[in-house]
Amino acid sequence: MSVEINVLLVEDEPHIRRVLNAVLAEEGYRVYEAETGARGLIEASTRKPDLLIVDLGLPDMDGVEVVRSVRHWSEVPILILSARTEETEKIVALDEGADDYLTKPFGVGELLARVRALVRRRARGGDGVPVVSFGDVKVDLVRRAVTRADEPVHLTNIEYRLLAVLVSHPGKVLTHPHLMREVWGPGQAENSHYLRIYVSRLRQKLEPNPTEPEYLLTESGVGYRFVA
Amino acid sequence: MTCGKAANASWSSAYPMAITACVLTAVLAMPLRHYLDLANIVMLFLLVTFLTALKLGRGPAVVSAVLGVVLFDYIFVPPHLAFIPTDAQYMVMLVVMLAVALVTGQLTAGAREQTELACRREEQTRRLYQLARDLAGALSRWDMQRALDDYLRHSGYRAMLHLLDANGVATTPVAEPGLAEHIDAVLRRGESIEGDAAAPALFIPLKTPARISGVMVVSASGPASPPAMQDREMFLVVASLAAITVERLDAADEVQASRDQYASERLRASILSALSHDLRTPLTALVGMTDTLALSDGRSADRPTPEMLAAIRDQARSIGHMVTNLLDMARLYAGNVSLRKEWQLFDDVIGASLRQLRAAHPGQPVRTRLAPDLPLVEFDAVLLERVLGNLLENAVKYAPAEPTIEVDAWVDGRDACLAVSDRGPGFPPQRIERMFGLFERGNPESSRPGVGLGLAICRAIVEAHGGEIRAENRADGGARVTIRLPLGTPPAFEEEDEPG
Repeated sequence: MSVEINVLLVEDEPHIRRVLNAVLAEEGYRVYEAETGARGLIEASTRKPDLLIVDLGLPDMDGVEVVRSVRHWSEVPILILSARTEETEKIVALDEGADDYLTKPFGVGELLARVRALVRRRARGGDGVPVVSFGDVKVDLVRRAVTRADEPVHLTNIEYRLLAVLVSHPGKVLTHPHLMREVWGPGQAENSHYLRIYVSRLRQKLEPNPTEPEYLLTESGVGYRFVA
Repeated sequence: MTCGKAANASWSSAYPMAITACVLTAVLAMPLRHYLDLANIVMLFLLVTFLTALKLGRGPAVVSAVLGVVLFDYIFVPPHLAFIPTDAQYMVMLVVMLAVALVTGQLTAGAREQTELACRREEQTRRLYQLARDLAGALSRWDMQRALDDYLRHSGYRAMLHLLDANGVATTPVAEPGLAEHIDAVLRRGESIEGDAAAPALFIPLKTPARISGVMVVSASGPASPPAMQDREMFLVVASLAAITVERLDAADEVQASRDQYASERLRASILSALSHDLRTPLTALVGMTDTLALSDGRSADRPTPEMLAAIRDQARSIGHMVTNLLDMARLYAGNVSLRKEWQLFDDVIGASLRQLRAAHPGQPVRTRLAPDLPLVEFDAVLLERVLGNLLENAVKYAPAEPTIEVDAWVDGRDACLAVSDRGPGFPPQRIERMFGLFERGNPESSRPGVGLGLAICRAIVEAHGGEIRAENRADGGARVTIRLPLGTPPAFEEEDEPG
């Protein structure tokens, strides 16, 4: 990569900061660190990072607060780190606009995979790619056409809308309420069983092995994620 | 004496029956009139009147007496088939027969009333006995209220219980102020009082030798009014039965509380011992290995080998796994886990668990068999993923030589079932029942890391869902754990109108 990619790491635990810094630097990212939420917000506005990694349990403010503040003025990808006691906060943070999460303890490989996916999306100019392909499936978002191994796949209206929302945000965890809003409109939050059934149908039509999906992944208790 | 059946024939059928009996007697006696003395034929009519009074009551008996005299006079007294009341002696017959009808009818009615009263008492006693039995079997205050409701519904009353806990504080606040005032008065005075127009009911204290444990408020279930006088004695008996039940339930609560405390103390001791032994061992190994690395630092000849690094990572991972389980267990047993139940498909949770498994053990073969058209099931996805994750982790840990793990999902009757099977050594048969206990391990001295929490967590989660979990050894070798969750009634699902 010729252009240097800046990552801002907001984490109060020095050991984790050190490890993440070392790992990310090794991969060629330039890492800036912040120990507190307040410091993180200042760094975010001055450094204009390409990716934010935010720990939910910060000493001075809630990680969710950081996500909310940054989202006021920036679409920068945000990866949140959570301990198991912060599970519900994790969902709140995703709903506030965070893109992905990792639960401690996590492996380095997992971290790098998430970071790469988020940075790649950023580099590609974000969402709005006309044709998304995964496996042998191609989704043409302009012509509203889906093919699998070059054969057209018939999708119902709702199936298509759901697929379009998912593939427009590759790598991003989309929460159940968010998907319900996007596909069925507001006020349908209590009907989330529709979402489960339609995701299952999409998998039947598009996944090589629907019981072990590779592209339309479940984030238990949180939502769904599309990975290409 | 038979209870419950109406002894009286209804008015509409009693009179025709009485008339029929008279006419029938006349017809039957007709051929005998040449052989029998008139006096004996009178006896026949007298008998009919007597029986009518006995069976059908006073009114029909009077009709029977009059008709009997008329028929006798008309048919049997010569000249036949003509009224010639020449003889005053038939007036005597009429008077006698009327007297028999009235006296017998009166006696019978009295006897019947006695019978009915006795029957009602018997019924009351039987139901009171039933109530006493129900109350003796009541396991909760809710059971008790239901038994009382069942009992009182028959008599057209309803009762509300206002109970005090062991400290004399009301368990449920009283909404209406009028009611509260009377209840307070009863608690203060310790005797039953009658409410006023604002609270038309009877207030009876639930008294036991030790204390007053509450107040029973009885009112008619239709238009609000206090119970009738003759039923009050019954309510006093019911109240004393309820008082005994409350006292028994209070005592049972106390026993349960001390048992719970004992269990939680034992849990704490077990967690401490698990932490001190099962976590210290891998931690010691970890510290040892990192020390070795630190010592070799800088000498390129002793660079850390990949095996050693892998060993460190594995040890750390297994410690992480144990800590997660301990935290889960502590949360589950503290009883403050609220389930986030949602209607969803097993596919999702199976897919997610398998992805976790793949991340930790790449290349592990797994065969999934999901019945087609599995219905929506209501469960907490995060917790069920923990269950499935633990089961898969166990299968990998204890059956590494025979690698194929099987995951099945199907519907059996009113349950949705999910099973994880392996081809390993299986559970020790003599301990299979205890495998879901806390800190139980198949082989207590096993060298495999673990503290015996996985299956206990699984059971706690599945039971919190109202389901059950069972372990068994497969007939052809290997272990199998089956989870059953109740199906319930899934929410409605409407298909799209027009296909896109």
